[in-house]
Amino acid sequence: MKLAALSWSHKVSASAAREALASVPVEKVLAELKARGVAEAVALSTCNRFELYAAGRPGEAPDAAVLLELLSELAGAAVADEAEVRADLEAVRHLFAVASGLDSLVIGESEILGQVKTGYELAKAAGMTGKRLNVLFQRAMYVGKKARSETAIAAGSLSVPSVAVSLAQTIFGRLEGKSALILGAGAMAELAAKHLVARGIGRLSVANRTWERAYTLAARFHGEAVTWEAFPEALAQADVVISSTGAPTAVVTRAIVEAASKRRGGRSLFLIDIAMPRDIEESVHKLDGVFLYRLEDLESIVAKNMSSRAEAVAAARAIVEAKAAEFDAWAKSLATGRELSLKHSEKPPR
Amino acid sequence: MTAQSVLAWGAFFLYTAATFAAFGYLFSKDARASRAMLALLGVGLALHVLSFVAHVAAFWVYPENRFFLPLTSFFGALSYMSLALAAAFFIVEGQNRLGILGAFVLPWAAGALGAAVIFANPDAAPLAQPLRSYWLNFHPMLLMTAYAAFANAFGVGVALLIQESQIKSRKPTELCYRLPSLDELDALNGKIVAWSYPVLVAGLVMGFVWAYIDWGRVWTSDPKMILALVTAAIYGAFLWMRYGAGRRGRRTVYVSLWGFASVLITFFGAELFSGRHVFMGGPR
Repeated sequence: MKLAALSWSHKVSASAAREALASVPVEKVLAELKARGVAEAVALSTCNRFELYAAGRPGEAPDAAVLLELLSELAGAAVADEAEVRADLEAVRHLFAVASGLDSLVIGESEILGQVKTGYELAKAAGMTGKRLNVLFQRAMYVGKKARSETAIAAGSLSVPSVAVSLAQTIFGRLEGKSALILGAGAMAELAAKHLVARGIGRLSVANRTWERAYTLAARFHGEAVTWEAFPEALAQADVVISSTGAPTAVVTRAIVEAASKRRGGRSLFLIDIAMPRDIEESVHKLDGVFLYRLEDLESIVAKNMSSRAEAVAAARAIVEAKAAEFDAWAKSLATGRELSLKHSEKPPR
Repeated sequence: MTAQSVLAWGAFFLYTAATFAAFGYLFSKDARASRAMLALLGVGLALHVLSFVAHVAAFWVYPENRFFLPLTSFFGALSYMSLALAAAFFIVEGQNRLGILGAFVLPWAAGALGAAVIFANPDAAPLAQPLRSYWLNFHPMLLMTAYAAFANAFGVGVALLIQESQIKSRKPTELCYRLPSLDELDALNGKIVAWSYPVLVAGLVMGFVWAYIDWGRVWTSDPKMILALVTAAIYGAFLWMRYGAGRRGRRTVYVSLWGFASVLITFFGAELFSGRHVFMGGPR
């Protein structure tokens, strides 16, 4: 198979070239390629990269120079110098690595898989994919999923709020039907509320010294505002408490948590203190069924997750390598008339 | 070697292999290990059922043994409890995503059957005269069923303690995200004990009735009877704490673990110093 891949990624090219390319609609690129007689092409345009995969007619390689010229023309800027040009096996390997998130800024991030899919679907809709690119891109999505599920490149959350939510899930399981209390109404509180709501928390209350700000934040997330004086009562009801007030001393004291614990019927209480100075007295962590995490605890989990993703890169690359070689053998077999079978052999893990 | 022994050894090897697969699943992320665990366990269960049927058949060769269950020998008792535990795990946890708990539950099933095939004599013998009673099909059978369920709850309780200490440590490992949540483990532990407790009580009551019929009195201050009541009291305390006083977490789980320790002492310990209940009458 004759395949050419042109990439402008965050790793190599300056943002000017990528910006110029990003401004050209993918549909226009495809239409132009079709008009110039390119048989099969898929373009992938995201904020971090622009990539073009093109396959010529059998036995006839697409000319990278011609493609580069065309793209420069469309982008209205000279983009050729910054392009990485790959061919055949190397191009396949690159696409599989991209789909696996190995080429992303944040290793293993899953958004790119969706973007690869979108790029492929646009090309398919434009009638620009044939047997080779169809199989190549379906294969890329399969490899992307496989690398993520069989290695740790996508394991562990990489942001403080999502780590907090994952921990909440290790305590409570599903968050539907659970309730959260947010103390403070600043930017951090808002971010926390957003994540909890996105992960399906059942009820949300907000308490703040300034009632208006509590009310505004609560209203934004269809929650309930609580007066500052009533927060110990709300704490007795809540399952997850996130505190980020600007108070100079601890506002959630051991006495408050102990009193709340007595009324909770043994339900666990997950306290998250992201304030500096601290909002929650450290000693509450010793209470049975009470779990207190501070900002630095969450940050060290994030750091650990990042390093374990980095450690998994080699294993993911091995999957990419093996699957690229497999695809290459299949593509070569097309010319011989004895097509190799290329099934998604193993069932994807549950 | 008889058919029942061959089948029981086969089941033992499959349970052991399933246990290893369960540990593999616990520490890797490989879903194939989970499928292997269930497959090995499933085939092991089939062999085990056949082995138990063969054991019953061999037992009933003696006309005086018909139609009593062969639960009075170590072999029969351990084999039955292992079977009940493996089957309960297969049905309760194995068929949903709680299969990860296999590493905590299956070692007990493999261990009990292993003890049976390695240390106990599988040969059948005529039942002692006082044991030829249909109470035999209920009193020990119900108690052993409850014991198997308590072994299951024990495994869940251990998983719960590990999960709790993971979260308390503030440095959770991968294991923390793979185990079921604290709430799920707590609910499962409570439910298993709550469902098994009536079985335990029913087994004890039948024992008292049998004692009254045979010996003319309910209570004989036999060590095994005392220990069995201690077990019932501990699990009763657990249920009161969990559902009556609304307490959960570490301390209540400790009580349920003590309950299982009491089960083990009752089952094995009483052989050492019980008078009337050295009833594991078959050949050793």
